[in-house]
Amino acid sequence: MAAPRAPLTLPLTALFAAGFVAPLCVLLMLSLAAGDDGSAGLTLAQYARFLGDRFNLSVLGSTLLLGAEATLVCLLFGFPVAWVCARAGARWQSVLIFLVVLPILTSVVVRTFSWIVILGRQGLLNQILLGLGLIDAPLKLLYSEAGVVLVLAQVQMPLMVLPILTVLSRLDPNLADASRALGAGEWRTLWRVTLPLVMPGIIAGCILSFAASITAFVTQTLIGGARLLYLPLFIYQQAVGANDWPFAAAVSVVFMIAVLLVVVLLNGFGRRYEKHV
Amino acid sequence: MNERFLMTRRELLMAGGALALGALLPAGRARAEAGKLVAATYPGTWSEAHRNVLKPAFQKRVDAGVTQSIILGTDQVARLAAAKGQTPPFDVAIFDPPQVLDAVRQGLIAEYPAAQSPHYAELLPVYQDRWGPKVSMQVIGLAYNPERIRTPPKRWDDLWDPQYRGRVGMTALNSQLGLAFLAELNRLRGGSSSDFEPAFRALRELLPALGAVAANLGAFATLWQQEQIDIAPYNFNFVQTLKAKGVPVEFVVPETGAVAWHTSLHVVAGTTVPELAVQYIDTHLDPLVQAAMMQPPYDVIPTNGKVALAGAVTQSVAKTQDALAALRGVDWAVLTEQRSALIERFNREIRV
Repeated sequence: MAAPRAPLTLPLTALFAAGFVAPLCVLLMLSLAAGDDGSAGLTLAQYARFLGDRFNLSVLGSTLLLGAEATLVCLLFGFPVAWVCARAGARWQSVLIFLVVLPILTSVVVRTFSWIVILGRQGLLNQILLGLGLIDAPLKLLYSEAGVVLVLAQVQMPLMVLPILTVLSRLDPNLADASRALGAGEWRTLWRVTLPLVMPGIIAGCILSFAASITAFVTQTLIGGARLLYLPLFIYQQAVGANDWPFAAAVSVVFMIAVLLVVVLLNGFGRRYEKHV
Repeated sequence: MNERFLMTRRELLMAGGALALGALLPAGRARAEAGKLVAATYPGTWSEAHRNVLKPAFQKRVDAGVTQSIILGTDQVARLAAAKGQTPPFDVAIFDPPQVLDAVRQGLIAEYPAAQSPHYAELLPVYQDRWGPKVSMQVIGLAYNPERIRTPPKRWDDLWDPQYRGRVGMTALNSQLGLAFLAELNRLRGGSSSDFEPAFRALRELLPALGAVAANLGAFATLWQQEQIDIAPYNFNFVQTLKAKGVPVEFVVPETGAVAWHTSLHVVAGTTVPELAVQYIDTHLDPLVQAAMMQPPYDVIPTNGKVALAGAVTQSVAKTQDALAALRGVDWAVLTEQRSALIERFNREIRV
């Protein structure tokens, strides 16, 4: 049964090889190139240059931290949304799912610009707060880390909600009933029964929104500006602004490895949880 | 479980064949579109003037399709460098001096065939260049929001005025605006081309006043439209274009003078349509086209000697071409050499 299927994967394999593996090899070679044209042999100097500088490491650190914060906010807001979606009746469920998916249907640039209108110094939110007399001077929401986290969380929300929703809606409702019949309250049932069972969905959602958040060049630069430096902008600056392709390639490889480590870590956590359950 | 993903040799060959086929496709596509020109343009004023004035004038002259693609100068150099040896992604480049230096060094642009360009000889001598004619001049000064700042600012130092705290804007150093402002600031504060400490010290003092540092010029326009910033260094033309859109913004030349540089068009090396590229560039030199572009909302400064200066340029910047030529320039050769070090220093010192 497995054998006849293999040729069906060929187009995808070819696409994967052409669109992902090949450029990755080029990137790797570029990062090891000693001269501008790569003729002068291989060297690890670019990696040493990145890793040997505390400033560069702090940019890497703040990028990963940004991803963690955005993922956390995503989870805090996304889980209840998925929960409500899963419990809603069939008609409401399709409406809610449509609302959740809606952000993905518009371009990320459009979504980000609408946030600029909302968060700006003269933006909607500041106007409302000023009008209500809650603040005296406009708050600085745009070009702050809090702003970037908030916008990333909203923009990546579907990536968190959909995997959780999938697992939640496949959950046997009898389990919750059994838990209640055995005397557990709503919160205890949620904490001890539902959450552990939904954990694979939560992990998948976290991995997706984390990976999307830390690489979200458009949102990071438009909402964060140039003063909040994260790795995607840093790589862009090195490649395009400074024309230093080998260094940019090395930073990209380091970035990718760091992200992979986080994903592996999350995956391992998920596996352990599955065993535990 | 893993065997199922293993490929036989034949399958591997097929996949390889598909890859090779994929590699051939782009070349075929480029040949099929030989009668079409792709020209790079800058965001803002330039893309609008090129779309509304240059494109119709070009198509009146030549029966050919033209696609105008908005790409920043540094991005153009990066894309051309990445495609070197293959069909370039566009045929006409628009550059400021630093990109011309980069592109010439990397062999990305061809020498301009002046003999095939009838309007080239009409350019004032200062605007002629063997790598491509200067089609305009960019001038930077102080921009401010007249609805929030009643008394117009007079000098660069006004940016440090405590009353504008939180409302001052800047762009990162990947734009010429950012670099030129840094260089001018350095000059005024007593620095030299080997010592940028005075400029960076001034910028560090400016930190608490900064409402935003835009990562690029496109985002900078949004800052004005959303009134996120009220005062900042800015290009004369971009102010004119924003003003025409109803954004409250005015331009003033600081007491210490404006800073200016030339913007030029270039035939990309290896283009499949060099004749079309020259025709396109020559159209930009046409006195009728330049006169039309000098009208609001573009207010593009002309470089053709047959076009008399008029309009907003003469009110805000300079009355004559001689006065324009006397504006302070920027030593781009020195700045370009240090750009990567300056960007790095900016990243480290101008943070939250």
